[in-house]
Amino acid sequence: MRAVRHIAVNVFRESVRDKVLYSLVLFAVLLIATSYLLGQLTAGQDIKIIKDLGLASISVFGLLIAVFIGIGLVWKEVERRSIYSLLAKPISRAEFVLGKYAGLVLTLLVNIGVMTIAFYAVLVYLGWREIPEVREAWPAPAADPAMLGAIGLIAIELMLVTAIALFFSTFSSPFLSAVLTLGLWVVGHFNADLRDFEAVVESRPAVWLARTLYYVLPNFSAFDIKAQVVHAQPVGVGYLAQTAIYGLVYIALVLVGAAVVFSRRDFK
Amino acid sequence: MKAAVAMVLLLAAVVGLQALREQSGTLAPQAGTGNLLYVRSGEFMTRAVLSFDSLAADVYWIRAVQHYGRSKLSGGVDKKYDILYPLLDLTTALDPKFDIAYRFGAVFLAERPPAGPGRPDQAIALLERGLRAQPGRWQLAQDLGFVHYWYLHDYLRAAEWFKRSSEIPGAPNWLAPLAAVTLAQGGSRGSSRQLWQQVLESADADWLRVQARFRLRQLDAMDQIAALEQAVKLYERRIGSLPMSWADMVRTGDLRGIPVDSERHPFELNPFWGTVTLDRASPLNPLPAPEQPR
Amino acid sequence: MNAIRIEALTKRYNVGFWRPRPYLALDGLTLQVAAGEVFGFLGPNGSGKTTTLKLLMQLIFPTSGSAEILGRPAGDAAVKRRIGYLPEHPYFYDYLTAEELLAYFAGLFGYAAAERRRRASALLDEVGIGAERRFPLRKFSKGMLQRVGIAQALINDPDVVFFDEPMSGLDPLGRREIRNLILRLRDRGCTVFFSSHVLSDAEALCSRVAILAGGRLIAGGPLSELLAFQVRGWELLMSGLDAAVLERFRSGPAITGATPLGGGRFALELPLGIPPERTLAELVAEGAQLVSLTPIRDTLEDVFVERVAAAARSRRLEHPQP
Repeated sequence: MRAVRHIAVNVFRESVRDKVLYSLVLFAVLLIATSYLLGQLTAGQDIKIIKDLGLASISVFGLLIAVFIGIGLVWKEVERRSIYSLLAKPISRAEFVLGKYAGLVLTLLVNIGVMTIAFYAVLVYLGWREIPEVREAWPAPAADPAMLGAIGLIAIELMLVTAIALFFSTFSSPFLSAVLTLGLWVVGHFNADLRDFEAVVESRPAVWLARTLYYVLPNFSAFDIKAQVVHAQPVGVGYLAQTAIYGLVYIALVLVGAAVVFSRRDFK
Repeated sequence: MKAAVAMVLLLAAVVGLQALREQSGTLAPQAGTGNLLYVRSGEFMTRAVLSFDSLAADVYWIRAVQHYGRSKLSGGVDKKYDILYPLLDLTTALDPKFDIAYRFGAVFLAERPPAGPGRPDQAIALLERGLRAQPGRWQLAQDLGFVHYWYLHDYLRAAEWFKRSSEIPGAPNWLAPLAAVTLAQGGSRGSSRQLWQQVLESADADWLRVQARFRLRQLDAMDQIAALEQAVKLYERRIGSLPMSWADMVRTGDLRGIPVDSERHPFELNPFWGTVTLDRASPLNPLPAPEQPR
Repeated sequence: MNAIRIEALTKRYNVGFWRPRPYLALDGLTLQVAAGEVFGFLGPNGSGKTTTLKLLMQLIFPTSGSAEILGRPAGDAAVKRRIGYLPEHPYFYDYLTAEELLAYFAGLFGYAAAERRRRASALLDEVGIGAERRFPLRKFSKGMLQRVGIAQALINDPDVVFFDEPMSGLDPLGRREIRNLILRLRDRGCTVFFSSHVLSDAEALCSRVAILAGGRLIAGGPLSELLAFQVRGWELLMSGLDAAVLERFRSGPAITGATPLGGGRFALELPLGIPPERTLAELVAEGAQLVSLTPIRDTLEDVFVERVAAAARSRRLEHPQP
């Protein structure tokens, strides 16, 4: 565990010293500011549009961080051979993989945290500026704490994306890993449609295949409750808990897979 | 080895949780909001998607099909199809030459509930827009005729559209006689049968052939129902009372066995009125409205 | 006790994507290294030296055979605590400084923060990294990275160290420093296993060597034995040599070649058959002064051209190609 923590801290240090990360955070903050300006231009719906844009940009920037750092982490160590001296130290390859993952998750959570704070700051300001009559008409308060549920699920979704990116990067090139990870992410968002596949297709094998994929592929659409939260529709604690557990179990599966693949690998 | 066991267990847990999610469907808050459509202006969307308008049209088309399929599958009350028209509208605005979206989309829209929203007016609006975008497509004019004929029972307009479509270069030669038949005896099962038979023989798309075969089987069922009701009437006249079930008529020799439709579902006899209907579970449901010959 | 024991270690790669063909990177290597020994692992490029070291570090896994370090299988966690490894052409994290890198690696052994800093600083002194230790490693030259690589291999006071081409990228001064470092390690009782394709390194340091070619062990043993018969003449540097005297000697068998070096100095080649002392004495009697006398040896590559060719011939006989 000590080794895992040690590697994780080093990953975090690497990403903090990587200027790409700063610019991503900066861009997210800028986007939230832009959404604020946009809200000024469209009458009435501004609070909803800002919530939409804010949640979407947290999700998208988190995704960029998860994928584009996740795919490079292990690959870079192998490609530059820095892993040679590292693996001669008393750590197992599984600890290496877990440490890399933990470090990236730490980076990700810090980033999501920064974005969330900026997001809520804009919302609090907007709520404070508006006259009470308008505020009454909103379905939910500006700085609605229910959105934390949506952000929490986004965080778990991105942790799963990170795990998948890491898994692919234990055996393939960054480009291929990015394509595969993003591909899975897109497919995972159409997951609900796989269930209803027999509505559009009659071929039995195709339906079975869709069913199997529906059960086995990560169901990313389950993590997306942005629209519900923005429209102040209730999302039960049970749903949040069940989805979170699903995400964490899936993460464990992918990480064990990554550790197994990585433990067998030859570094030619 | 340990890792393999762990992976199998975790995979089982993942599948189990996904199954659990499906069972406790009420937990999924998506159901109510899957029907949200933020942007409804095709003009705006055409600009917003930059050079990917054709691709975006595909996406909206897929969404339209899924929305239709999902609404149709969802049991019971909430078969709203409420964003079907905006989705099709967006699709065809993004890609005005998207033939299948006009043609299939019109069928989706015109279908009577619960198989569709029952909005032939929207179907006509969609097809007319398609025809404006592509005046050379006789199929769209023919489909307009269909919607008027089949869903609105407006045989005059139907005949008009069949005629217009037959005048478009490249139209098949059976369209002109079809217009004439429609005008003369629109609404009769005979003319309907002729219509679908022509479609079946000349269809250039699988779904159209499937549709035509289905309609022909429905017409067969309607013929069967008419014959059965006739037989019930004869039975009543002879015995003095309505049969309680098909078994009564089999016993008297009026029927050779329990009558079934082409999908092997038995017809239903109403012993109080002597009327005959399809089995509720028959895939031939719903039959078109009773004929209204002019 | 043996520090390293390698038994019939074999590594076969499949090369080619569509029709993979097996390629033997290492072919049944058997080897023992005693504790406290400085062992040279020699061979031309591509002979399997790095493959062997990677197998010992479990960076790759053997096709067959086994390797033990300090009596336990290679890759064992307890073994890793007691060894150090310098990879070939080491490369580390761009974003860390040399100090941070060493502290990071020290942390993996569980040392406390103060101990990490102490070890990092002491080792960087030892390998001659000065104020640059606070620069990010991306600014480091190849030679400096090599020094950092050696320092990180020693972070845990290892009982056995594995150096893959420790002298590569170093200037002559650096080479001497590293030689001295290896000798200090030996004096501390540390077993040093290093690979090289430069014979002089091994000559200066090793008690025993193994020579590898084409993935096979082709010679091994104490260095003195192995190289004794490889001397093929002497190079004698003289000054104050009279041209006429030189001419006289050239016509005889005692001097086979002469190259003027400027400043009245000559480099003379003496054959192996005649003892060099005699020729030297005669030249000194003629008034010349001795500058230096060195044996001329085949370079490792020279020796191997023949050996490798022989190995390849025998392999063709074993595995005839259609």
